[in-house]
Amino acid sequence: MTVGAGIGYALLALGPSLSLFISVISKKPFLILTLLSSTLVWLMSLIVMSALWRAFLPLKTAAWWPYTILILTSVGFQEGLRILFWKVYKKLEDILDAFADRVSKPRLFMTDKMQIALAGGLGHGVAHAVFFCLGLLTPAFGPATYYVEKCSKIPFFLVSAIIALAFSTIHTFSMVIAFSGYEEGNKVDKCFAPVVHLIAAMLQGRIQNRNCRDWLTFHFLIPQAVPDPPKETLTNLAFGGCMIGIPLLYCVAIVTLVHCGKMAWRRLIESRSREGNLSNSQ
Amino acid sequence: MDSNRKPKSVLDSVGEEIVRIITPVSICMLLVVILVSVLNNDSDSSGSSFPSIATYAYTENSSDSNWDKLKGALLNALVFVVVVTAVTFLLVLLFYFRCTKFLKYYMGFSSFLVLGFMGGEISLFLIGKFRVPIDCVTFGLSLFNFTVVGVLAVFMSKTAIIITQGYLVVIGVLVAYWFTLLPEWTTWVLLVAMALYDLAAVLLPGGPLRLLVELAISRDEDIPALVYEARPVINPDSVPRGAVVQRRVWRETRDNDLGSDENLDSTSNLNSTVNSGLESNSGLERLGDENERNGVDVEDGQVSRADSELAAPLIQHRINVRMNLQEGGSNDDFALEGIGLGSSGAIKLGLGDFIFYSVLVARAAMYDFMTVYACYLAIIAGLGITLMLLAFYQKALPALPVSVLLGVLFYLLTRLLLETFVVQCSMNLLMF
Repeated sequence: MTVGAGIGYALLALGPSLSLFISVISKKPFLILTLLSSTLVWLMSLIVMSALWRAFLPLKTAAWWPYTILILTSVGFQEGLRILFWKVYKKLEDILDAFADRVSKPRLFMTDKMQIALAGGLGHGVAHAVFFCLGLLTPAFGPATYYVEKCSKIPFFLVSAIIALAFSTIHTFSMVIAFSGYEEGNKVDKCFAPVVHLIAAMLQGRIQNRNCRDWLTFHFLIPQAVPDPPKETLTNLAFGGCMIGIPLLYCVAIVTLVHCGKMAWRRLIESRSREGNLSNSQ
Repeated sequence: MDSNRKPKSVLDSVGEEIVRIITPVSICMLLVVILVSVLNNDSDSSGSSFPSIATYAYTENSSDSNWDKLKGALLNALVFVVVVTAVTFLLVLLFYFRCTKFLKYYMGFSSFLVLGFMGGEISLFLIGKFRVPIDCVTFGLSLFNFTVVGVLAVFMSKTAIIITQGYLVVIGVLVAYWFTLLPEWTTWVLLVAMALYDLAAVLLPGGPLRLLVELAISRDEDIPALVYEARPVINPDSVPRGAVVQRRVWRETRDNDLGSDENLDSTSNLNSTVNSGLESNSGLERLGDENERNGVDVEDGQVSRADSELAAPLIQHRINVRMNLQEGGSNDDFALEGIGLGSSGAIKLGLGDFIFYSVLVARAAMYDFMTVYACYLAIIAGLGITLMLLAFYQKALPALPVSVLLGVLFYLLTRLLLETFVVQCSMNLLMF
């Protein structure tokens, strides 16, 4: 709507990522490089997906299954890339450990490894926010605003900023969970990231669809007091669309955060007690 | 936390030089993108193209067909590359006849022109756009002061390094902005042509830049050039003797790279580091074995310092430079130092690279911001790849080709494929 509003939307989507960057990542140059490379990897995955789907776009149908297939393929591809990222990270870890031995510094600590995973996840989150929110923000700097019919009570830019914030949180912390899961072989952690990603993406996709929304309205929500209005915009107001999807998305984001916090705490306590045992036994 | 008692991890210092060169490149690109989005609010058609050597053969008209535009752009780029080659050979000739002083003074004069006139015009645009109430006398005086300090900072090395770096970035921003006033097709074809020219001029045996490098090596001299020099990484826990923190100076290795090319009105901007071209031990003074850290040698060598390289070129239209990685590690550290992860080298990047990267990103900004992000990532990736190749091959390498070609590729992919996809998904609020 104005330059101020545009900057506001940008900060809404990227604020926590920016503070994470300034406090944790900017202090170690290697983490900055990790962030840049994971952003690049995410961008390349997006380009590959767009190349695949270019022929089918624009999707004009109101049926839900093309969207589902789109989401499934995209999420699957990105999760596959995460595993590739992990393999590259293992090689890098070996190189760094060899370098540390050579300059007689200690090898990578567990906190270092988690920081690298955090930087990788933050790269994905920032890439999501940049391409799905900031890239579309150019009209927001002008004098008007824009509404989409799927969510017509709040401006589109605000919706995309809010969704981008949730997704960047999910991406950032699920990478930490995934890396620690691969390292320890913990099945729950290993499957956590893909499952959460898929749920979050589907939440956005399915809830938008009117059939699904009507089903939810009928079965779960308070029966509507007004007769079913012909316009979608009125239905969006109370019974669905982004009004359901976004709070659920934030629930998923909070679950990710809590799980990551618990896992990190557990590992820190374990490693501290292991160090304590080592020093005691010496 | 017991972080004070914990020894410093290796993660604290790895990759620092690379980040020290990526930061000014990013700042330069950001400033040019901001300038372009603020000042060029009209469409990116060639409404305001200015006559220059780059539009000599063909001036783009928005009503021409795509094929005509492409042909015209190719002609323009060809003329440009030919002129640049000619001027580079002229520079080699001048250097061969030892007219170094002349080159230096010409470069100082060029930077005066860039900062004074180009900077002045852009300030006038900004003043007009934002309606800043300022009178001519104040404006003239501050511009003059700014310019003179800039020339001194770039010309002499006695100023604080941050001022020199700042002025170099400003010069890069100003010249890159002027390049964006060229018509669209011409700009893109010109970028690709310059990348290919850079590749040829540095790697082919008869290339002018390679001749320049070899001349400089054989004479053990510095080429007057505009070079951005990142601050070297000082490792505080590597000083075993006393309280004197030695500033690590780079050891001359066999690497040397330069890039230069110039243009009619301006002198070339070269960046060079003289290298001995010999084994690491020759020509260096070792500070005694007690100074060595395990595995990494601290050596003081003669370095082609910024003071001798401060001939500032007038970068009117192009510059082409190369990167130079100086490594300080010992030979068997090469595998790691080579990746640019060594802690004793500093990286120099010529100003021409700054300028062309920024031109690419600014042109992408004239289309949309999504292309800007994609091209930025591509350029940084290209820079990283070039650094690694440099460490691997240990010889002069051009910094333009990989980044520019990746940038152009990503621009095309984003514009044609990604944008529709992302806009479609976002409009349906389908995010993943």
